[in-house]
Amino acid sequence: MTPEQLALVQSSYQRLGARLPAMASRFYQELFSRDPALRELFTTDMAEQQVRFALKLTEIVQAMPRLDELLAHTRALGARHVGYGVHAADYQTVGAALLGALAAVLGDDFDAPTHEAWTIAYNLMAETMLEGPRRLGP
Amino acid sequence: MLTAVATTLRRWPIVGRRSELEVFEKALCSGEHTGLVIHGRPGVGKTRLADECRQWAAASGHPTERVVGSRTTALLPLGAVVALLAAGLGGPGRDGQLDTVALFEQTRRALSERHQGRRLVIVADDAALLDAASLALLGYLAAQETIFLIATVRTGEPVPDLLAGVWRDGRMERIDLEDLSRTHLDTLLHLALGGPIEAGAGHEFWEATRGNPLYVHELVLGALGSGALVERSGVWHLEDRLPSTARLLDLVEQRIAGLSPQARSVVELLALCQPLELGYLETVAPAGVLESLEQAGLVTIAVADDEVRLAHPLHGSVVRAAMPRLRARTILLAQADRLAAASSDPGPATLRIALWRLDAGGRLDPAVLMRGAHLARYAHDFRVVRRLTEAIPGDQLDTVGALLLGEALYELGDFEAAERVLARGQQLPGSEPVALRLAVTRAKNAQWGLCQPKAALAINAAARAVITSPPLAEELVADEASVLTFSGYPDQALAVLERIAGGDRRTRVVWAIAGSPALALVGRTAEAIRAAETGFADHIALGDELAIAHPAMHVVNQVFALTEAGQLAEAEQLVRAGADTVASHRVPIAQIFFAANLGRVAILQGRIATARRYYAEAAGLAEANRFAGPRWLALSGLALACATLGDAAAAAQALDERGAGPPFGFREPEGYLADAWTALVSRRPAEAERHLRDAAAQAASTGHRTAESWLLHDLVRISAGDASARLRELAAACDSPLVSARARHAVALLTRDARELAAAADDFEALGAMLLAAEATAGAAEAFSQAGDRRAAAAAQRRSSVLAAICEGAVTPGLLHVAAAVPLSGREREIVLLAAQGMASKDIAERLYLSVRTVDNHLQHAYAKLGVNSRAGLAQALRSGS
Repeated sequence: MTPEQLALVQSSYQRLGARLPAMASRFYQELFSRDPALRELFTTDMAEQQVRFALKLTEIVQAMPRLDELLAHTRALGARHVGYGVHAADYQTVGAALLGALAAVLGDDFDAPTHEAWTIAYNLMAETMLEGPRRLGP
Repeated sequence: MLTAVATTLRRWPIVGRRSELEVFEKALCSGEHTGLVIHGRPGVGKTRLADECRQWAAASGHPTERVVGSRTTALLPLGAVVALLAAGLGGPGRDGQLDTVALFEQTRRALSERHQGRRLVIVADDAALLDAASLALLGYLAAQETIFLIATVRTGEPVPDLLAGVWRDGRMERIDLEDLSRTHLDTLLHLALGGPIEAGAGHEFWEATRGNPLYVHELVLGALGSGALVERSGVWHLEDRLPSTARLLDLVEQRIAGLSPQARSVVELLALCQPLELGYLETVAPAGVLESLEQAGLVTIAVADDEVRLAHPLHGSVVRAAMPRLRARTILLAQADRLAAASSDPGPATLRIALWRLDAGGRLDPAVLMRGAHLARYAHDFRVVRRLTEAIPGDQLDTVGALLLGEALYELGDFEAAERVLARGQQLPGSEPVALRLAVTRAKNAQWGLCQPKAALAINAAARAVITSPPLAEELVADEASVLTFSGYPDQALAVLERIAGGDRRTRVVWAIAGSPALALVGRTAEAIRAAETGFADHIALGDELAIAHPAMHVVNQVFALTEAGQLAEAEQLVRAGADTVASHRVPIAQIFFAANLGRVAILQGRIATARRYYAEAAGLAEANRFAGPRWLALSGLALACATLGDAAAAAQALDERGAGPPFGFREPEGYLADAWTALVSRRPAEAERHLRDAAAQAASTGHRTAESWLLHDLVRISAGDASARLRELAAACDSPLVSARARHAVALLTRDARELAAAADDFEALGAMLLAAEATAGAAEAFSQAGDRRAAAAAQRRSSVLAAICEGAVTPGLLHVAAAVPLSGREREIVLLAAQGMASKDIAERLYLSVRTVDNHLQHAYAKLGVNSRAGLAQALRSGS
């Protein structure tokens, strides 16, 4: 990841501002339309789930410039997700849904360099989340 | 800067391999799999993935182990798996055999006990470099579910047979690893460096490595070490160009070359003797050296057992290649002495010490070499058997050693040397069972290798004079019969076999190997088929033993017996089923006989061009494996097929080649069919007749009844001479419908009985002997015509031309008057025969793996060639009158 890409991820996230809840809601729409079976993994109230998602994503994006901090968030998160029955393949679906939601809400602001920056940023999140369960043991 | 990396990371990160890890986790937990094979190009991360799997297994409570194949471990069978072997491995029994199955089973139990029944997860890195015995043991343990095997195999290298078998059974998972994508490379760099990297630098890493993980590893750590890659204000920059090498190997060499002398000596030590204990290495390397090596990504220290290894096999091979031989030798011998002094445990340590001494070029205890030779013999690795037994000084080679070496030399085609070693072995004192095996192996070598059947009989007779205890003496009698059968005396062989009452299982197996072909040759085909079947069952129950033929030889015998019984289709089916097995097990003698038998069945079926191909293959195999006797048989068949196709030059050439070797007693009379038909097609009919008469006389005097019937029938076919009386005697003496049909045909030809000729044609056609059926029908047409029955004559004429067309271009005197139909191709023939039986195109297509359209196309072509226009016309032309 280049410093420019890091900055793009953070600035575009900033730009969401008040549209963050809309992006969170859109994320779950995108996710379930891509894989309806994933719906069953969520047992809590979806409105609450969207808030949790938005908060966690904000923490992660803020931590992104400092790897130690980022890892602390993503690994713990990944360890929890394995308990939910999430597999490596699901992370691809999640990534596509996240990029889809960002594109939908940001519109023209989500240009090609921003798209690429988010792709790499998400890959970093996903890889370190997937590392979480292994690090803590099965 | 190095410390910055090291604090962020305990290990070099692994990226983009999560789905593969999930495949492993599932395979390990499902209970349906016994292992996992990881394929991929060098540097793609096979070793790392395998180790990651191993760590996961350890974390979930599995004991784990790691074995690596290398040049050193390959020196001694089981060298790679010393860590698995229990102490007290036992020695050979009284009969000179090491009970390998018991050794494997003992190892299994010991492992199972040591780990309280928990499945041991073993990583076999570079499995293609493991010796055959190690693979056999791993295969055994995996099949018993004592271990879960993770094997890595480089793309392009063959998956070892033993693993391939399990993998084909679907009991091993397979992963094909690819290089990393650009996105994954970015993630890897971010995690490895602990922060963002400037865009140009990231691009340069991508251009240089194209996502090959080992390349990235070497390049990044190299650049950090050289100061080319530096961090400023939280961002990584390349201050210098990356090394401009396109080869991974060069890169590794450059990194190793840059090490300090102390670091280098640690790396050298590991390259030769890894894994080594951390505690020991700390005593030989100055403080800090190991840490710097670990930070530089050159060594890994396993947390669980404090074992230190080089991080990648490539590091080891680069270091070994650069090390002067004398230095390697000094290190190996010093380590061997250290381990010998430190350990009182005689088990695995002994083998490791032996390996190091062997690698150093030192002398080894003959007992260790012998044990290795036994294990290699079990794995049919005759080259290693030879190398290990030859390393034993001549005056210390005992009878068992001579037996192992002699057998290996025979199997490797060095017959003269085998004779010397086995003869010397017979002079040494030893147990009776070993003496027996020496005699049997030496006789086999004399007969099959040196082509001296008389010498083989003399060796057998000499052994019978001194070996007298019951089961062994009986085996020698059976072996005498074997020499007699395979040197051309089936009558005598059967008389000798009468002397055996029942015998133990081993004797019964030898009995069957000699008895089945002898029975078939004298025309007792039903007994011959049964003998081959029970012999095979006994042999499988007996297991793999020294100085005995391969179990596949019973299948060869059964095929021959079925052919002699006229059951051509069954014979063909059996030989096809067996041919793949012997090819994959690399049993040359069985491969040769399978090919030759396919040729023989094809000749009898009238598929002459096919026969020519099979015989040529058999001759090539025999030549390549230096089996002169079977080569004689195969070249005879080849000449016969060529002559039957009217190719005089090719037939003469095959005979010419055959002339270079001695005749082969086994089935020798039949071999002269080639001489006769070659003479005939070369327009020397008198010589052809003489060959057939002489060979028939030889067959009569030695008991080759089915062969005599073939020879005399061919005499009738080419010269219209009279042999019908003797052919009828033979038909009465044999239980073969093929022999009976020949007699019927000969009698009918003599009496010019049209109906009997047609009946003989029906007999032949029912057996699938289409060329003979065509000839008999042609004879019937002529006889009907002479008798004035023009309708019957025309029908027979039509039928004979259809039959002749499916004989792939045969040209024989019996077909002289057949209206020349265009020969059918092999595929057309196959389809026509099925269609004539009333099979629908759809079913034919399914059976032959063709499309219906292709089947119909072939049928249309065939109809045109045969002058018919429908299935009904075809069936009528080919109808069986019975």
